[in-house]
Order: sequence, then C-alpha cells, then structure tokens
Amino acid sequence: MRLRNGILFAATIAALAAAAMAIAGANPLAGFAALARGALGGERQLSETLVQTTALLFPALAVAFAFRAGLFNIGAEGQLIVGGLFAGLVGASLLAPGWIAIPIVLGAGALGGGLWGGIAGLLRARFGGSEVIATLMLNVVASLLANYLIVGPLRAPGVEGAETAPLPLSSWLPPLLPNTRLTIALVLALALAALLRYVFARTVFGFELRAAGEAPRAAARAGINLTRTALVAMTISGAIAGFGGATLVAGVFHRFNVELSPGYGFIAIAVALVGRLDPLAIVFAAFAFGILQSGSLTMQALAHVPKDVVAIVEGLTILGLSARQLARREPAAV
Amino acid sequence: MVDATPVALELSGIVKEFGAVRALDGVSLSLAAGEIHALCGENGAGKSTLAAIAARKLGATAGNVEGQGEIGLVHQHFELVDRLRVWENVLLGREPRRGLRIDAAAAREHVRDLARRYGLDVDPDAVIENLPVGIAQRVEILRELAREPKVLILDEPTAVLASTEIDALFATLRTLAKRGIAIMVITHKLREVIGNADRVTVLREGRVVLSEPTAATSLAAIAYAMVGGKVPAIATRNATRLQPAFDVRNLCSGTGAHALYDATFEVRGGEIVGIAGVEGNGQSALTDAIAGIAPYAGTMTLRERPFVGSPAARIAAGARIIPQDRQREALVLEWSIAENAALGDHTAPELRRGWNIDRAARDRRARRIVERFDVRAASIDASTASLSGGNQQKVVVGRALAGEPIFVVAYQPTRGIDVGAAALVQSRLVESRNEGTAVLLISFELDELFAVADRILVMFRGRIAGEFAREAFDRSRIGALMSGAA
Repeated sequence: MRLRNGILFAATIAALAAAAMAIAGANPLAGFAALARGALGGERQLSETLVQTTALLFPALAVAFAFRAGLFNIGAEGQLIVGGLFAGLVGASLLAPGWIAIPIVLGAGALGGGLWGGIAGLLRARFGGSEVIATLMLNVVASLLANYLIVGPLRAPGVEGAETAPLPLSSWLPPLLPNTRLTIALVLALALAALLRYVFARTVFGFELRAAGEAPRAAARAGINLTRTALVAMTISGAIAGFGGATLVAGVFHRFNVELSPGYGFIAIAVALVGRLDPLAIVFAAFAFGILQSGSLTMQALAHVPKDVVAIVEGLTILGLSARQLARREPAAV
Repeated sequence: MVDATPVALELSGIVKEFGAVRALDGVSLSLAAGEIHALCGENGAGKSTLAAIAARKLGATAGNVEGQGEIGLVHQHFELVDRLRVWENVLLGREPRRGLRIDAAAAREHVRDLARRYGLDVDPDAVIENLPVGIAQRVEILRELAREPKVLILDEPTAVLASTEIDALFATLRTLAKRGIAIMVITHKLREVIGNADRVTVLREGRVVLSEPTAATSLAAIAYAMVGGKVPAIATRNATRLQPAFDVRNLCSGTGAHALYDATFEVRGGEIVGIAGVEGNGQSALTDAIAGIAPYAGTMTLRERPFVGSPAARIAAGARIIPQDRQREALVLEWSIAENAALGDHTAPELRRGWNIDRAARDRRARRIVERFDVRAASIDASTASLSGGNQQKVVVGRALAGEPIFVVAYQPTRGIDVGAAALVQSRLVESRNEGTAVLLISFELDELFAVADRILVMFRGRIAGEFAREAFDRSRIGALMSGAA
C-alpha cells in the first residue's frame, strides 16, 4: 500500500516534470535521458551526484532531527551558511596538520550552525515564539550577515568578491576518489544518518525527543521538559546543518563563499519529507535529489530543458508532500 | 394494543456503516408524541450515531426515518457562542431584521416569549460565558425549541449537571412532553432512566436489546441488557493500616471560573479519597498543580518530604497522575503499547541501560500490564491508536500502577469506557489501595465514588465544600453541595 502510493506519487511528479519540459518546448524523453546521463553517465558524473547527495544529506538530517522533535526547522539554509562561514573563517587562519585542523574546521561549522539554530530554539523555549518564523527570518539574516562580514570587517587581504581566503591544503577533506570533489564528507554523512537512527530508536534522549514531537502534552506530563527539548533539538539540528556547511567549505570549495549553497537547506526539507523523517530513507531520498541537482546542467545543455525544471520538480514534491500531511490530518469517520 | 398518541418519529431498520464497522445494525424504534424515551447503552453501542441519523444530521446506510416536523438535537458539548448573549445564541442565523440591521428588541421579545411559553427561565441578555452550565443547557434547549420541533433529542444532557440540576432538567422535559413534544434522552446513568422516562430502549453493539415501558422493567434488567451479562463486580476493599502519604495545605491554582482555592486535605496510604464535583469546579487545576504542570501557591508533601519541582521530580518521588484525556495527555497514540509502557518511567533505573532504554525490561513491563489488565491487543507492538478506548485506558492505568507508586491521582479514569473495562480499572485501583497506595480519585460520577472511595471531598467552584466518611455517604447531601445549594 505504502509502496504503491510512493510509486504513484513518483509517477505523478515525473508526469508533471514531463509536462513542464514540454511547456518549456523540449522533448521530455530527451530531457530525462540527458538528466540521467548527466547524473549517472560515468565516474565523474556519478561522483558529482554523490557530492550533491552529501550536500543535501546533512541539512536533510538536520531538518528531520528537528521535525521528529516537533520543531519545524525551515532554517537549515541559514544554519548551513553560518556553519560554513565559521568553518571558512577558522579554516583560513588555521595552519595545522590535517588530523588537528579538519576536526577543528568541521567543529567550528557545527558550532556556528548550532548557535544559529539555538537562537530559534531559545526564542521558542523562552518566549514561545514560532520556530517557523524565526528560522525562516534567520535564513535571510544569515546570508546578509555573512556577506557583510566577509566583504566588510573580516575581508581577507587580497581576496576579490564575497569569499574568505582559501583554506590551507592541510585542512582540505581527503578525497574518496582521486581527481573528483567527492570526499570523506559522504562517509561522515552516512555515519551520521546511522547514528541518528540509533539515537531515535534506542536512546532515552531520542525517546524524549520523539515523545515531545508526537504528543507534547503527554510528554510534558510524563516529565519531559519541553522547553529544554526545544532548545536542545534546535541547537543540534542547527549544528548538523552547520557541519554540512563546513564540509562544503573544507571539501568542495576550500573557502567560504556566500554562494556556497544553491538552496540545499530548502531542498533538504523535501528530502527529509520524502524520506519520511527516517534517516535511512533520507539517504536514498538525498541520492534521488542529488541526481536532479547534478543532472540538471547536462539536461539544459543537451536537451535544452531549462534547469529551472528541476526547481519546479522540487517545488511540486514539497507541495505534494504537504498535501499528504494535510490529508492525514483530516478526521476519520465515526 | 393500539396506541392513541400519534407517532412523532419512526425509525425502521436503520443500518449505519463506517467503513468496515457496522455502528448500527437494523435498529427500529418509535417515539410517541408526549413521551420521554430513554436511549441507553454503553460507549460505542451506537446511541449518538442513532441520534444523529434521527435528527437527519447523518445519512443511514439503510433503513427509514419517518417523522413530521422539525427535530431538535441538543449536543452533549454545547454548541453555543460563549461571547454572545442568550437571545443572540437562540436566534443565531435566524435573527429578525429591520432593514440591514438586526431587530434586537423584537429578537429579545421573541426569546423572552419562548422562554415563558416553555417555562424555561433565562435572562435573554445574559452572556453565555457567565452562565452556569445548567442554565447554558437551557439556552441550548431553547435554541432548538425556537424552531418549534416535534421531537427533541438530548445527547447525554446530564453529564455536566449536578443532581439538583438534573431534577430541574427532567421537570423541564416533562413540561415539554406535556405540550406534545416527543423527547428522547440519551444517557448511561440508569438511575435517571427509572425515575424520569416513560420508556427505555437499550442498544448494544448497534442492536436493540431491550425496549420496554420503564414501569415494566428494572435497573438491574437495564444494566444486564446494556452489558450483555452480569455487571462485573469490583474488588473488595480490605481493611488497611493508614499511613501518612500525601498532604496538601492551602493549595491555590489557576484563575477564573475553573480555579482552585485554598484546598487543604490529605490522602493516606491505604485509602481512596474521592473528589466529587461537577466538571469544571477546579478539578483540573487541582490535578495540574499536583502534577507540577501548572503554577500554584500552597504546600504539598509526600511521605513528609516536600513534594515540589518539575513533573519529572514528582514522578521520581513516587507520584503518578492518570490524566483525564488519555489520548492527548497520557499516550503517544502512534506508539506501540511497549513504548507507551515506558513513557514517564523512561528515566527510571529499571527501564534504562546507560543512555539507552532497556528494551527487554520495557517489554516485560508492557507484557505485565497487558496481562494484569487484560488489554485486548494483537501484541505489545500494536499501536495504542489501534486500541479501543477501554483498552487504551487499561494501558494508562496499568502503566501508572506498574511502578508501585506511593500516591496515585486518577482523574476520571473510567470516562467513556465500557462497564467491563471500568470495573477492571476500579478493581485495580482498589487493590492498589489495599496494598497501601494512597489514591486520589477525581470523578464526576457519584456512583463510582460510592463504590470505591473511603472518603469523599466535594468540590464546588474551586473550593472543598464538604467532607464525608464512607459511613456517612449521603447522595442527596453530597448532591446538594455539588450544586452549591447547601
């Protein structure tokens, strides 16, 4: 039943994507073929797809973590940027062997993202403010603040444009495949997914988070501190997204750039929902969206399908999934 | 026998299916003008569904509804606009107009006239939220009467009323019946049926299992028909040695109509103290203060130690609260019985292993609850959402008693569950008391308190209005205190 619905859903999205391509004046079949070729057509293409998968996986896990605790964190984008900024600033000024420097750079990213998520968590915990509004607005603050800091007070000497100085080679993440951008970040992301799954399934901490998310009133009466839960969950969620930002800095771009993310934090919401907030399923969802991300340019070049079609597909997916959530909320008969 | 009175409503062969569930299975019933007809049955027997079909608010899968004229339906939970006045509520949507404006004078006069005609004394200008429930219910009835119905159906109208208000309600209904209106009262309180109805029909599992003139039947026969067998007995209350347990002094909590004022009492180990009162007289404020959910003033001690702090600290101290709303306040519905069995005790040493939940211990506890409380479920991995209300409540009460607490607060622990499940829950509470647990039982049902309580405290408007030892239980005096008449 679930599987059938899933297939139906995917088929519907694919049909709508085909319609979008047709409207854009392209041959949908050629479009899909180009997309597949661009994403999976060779070692280089596949490695790039996995780079995109990794970039989506961190914020998607971050979103899922908060959602499971009942917090609608739509600020993974901002948390990712602040995490990347911290990692870029620390990394650029740190000269140390990799086994010291890399943990520090990634830790700085987690710290930045955690702070950014923690602000929303604090607003919610302390004043009951909606984390939706807070995280949404903090996205804007994050990118503008990052931009201001690196072209303004923290501008690195000799650097043009909105980016930090490059990281020394010792701080770069070791590649998984030579001559590609694919690094151990993928392994870290997969390990994180496994860890989160374990935390939710087995630990007292995960138990409390899930209770707070699914039945807050029952959780409060069961002695679970909802205020603390909100603060902790938002901080950890932000830290995961920030860690992801740091892996982009240390693994892909080797410096922080304000255009670090083409909206990974937003696409991540769709990824998390497609994965039904289950870390393992999210891995596969991230791969599917990774294909879209990395194949879209080839699709544009070869089949003349604007790469915006991919954004349309992502939007439709979010819309469809939200509709399902709404439908579920409808009261049953009796 | 040919009945001289005309039939006001005739239901024949009513079948109603919700998906695969057959809520009504061929129900036939006729209401005569001028009679008060009681419709009894356990929760889930199909009473409210039948009422909704009779009032044409719900379509039947099969069968016929015949009747002339309007049918009024008074809901258990009032459907009134709290901020509006009585006349605005009564004529809502049908206000007399003058041009574009509401003709308030005419409306007020119309409602006053209606009230006079039916002997329902209310002030048309009173605002609903300031009215006591008994009067608000009159407004609800009046609103239905404004449509000049031939049939008036009341769904559990006495659930929110004190005993004196119940008497007043039935006096009103008798007046209406004498004016030729057919009245159907849905209730599960059998005592009311015997004294007030002309005829009683009992539904069980969607079928009519008894339909007799009240004079020709008995309380026992109605109860037997409702349950489909003998009403199960409640465990015997043994003699116990009372020990100090829970003590509360000058407890105040909440604001407004549902606040609690200056409550001082104790619950000793080995006794069940009952809180009698109509819903909304401070019981929720009391429960939330004890649970540590709501702020309060006053002092509480448990076994002579200060009973303070977060809900978690109170659980750790040995107190368990069985909340009123099992689906929202007690269970995570999507979770399995096993996971729910750990909720609240999940930080206790016996249910955790380091950072993890000890799943083996959790499952053992769940299985023990399922066994001891006869929870009907496929396995402990079944989600609690899939259980019936009675079985959900068994899980909640079972969990509360599983940790061998010092003190248990049970807030309406048998609300809306069938007689068998209710007797089981009450029995387990009594057994817990026999073993030395201090039990505070908050109930809106006097019968329940009379069955199991050692003492009864009566709450009215947030204050404790009286205390009765078991030897001195007196239905009419307690009833009077509950309605503030004493």
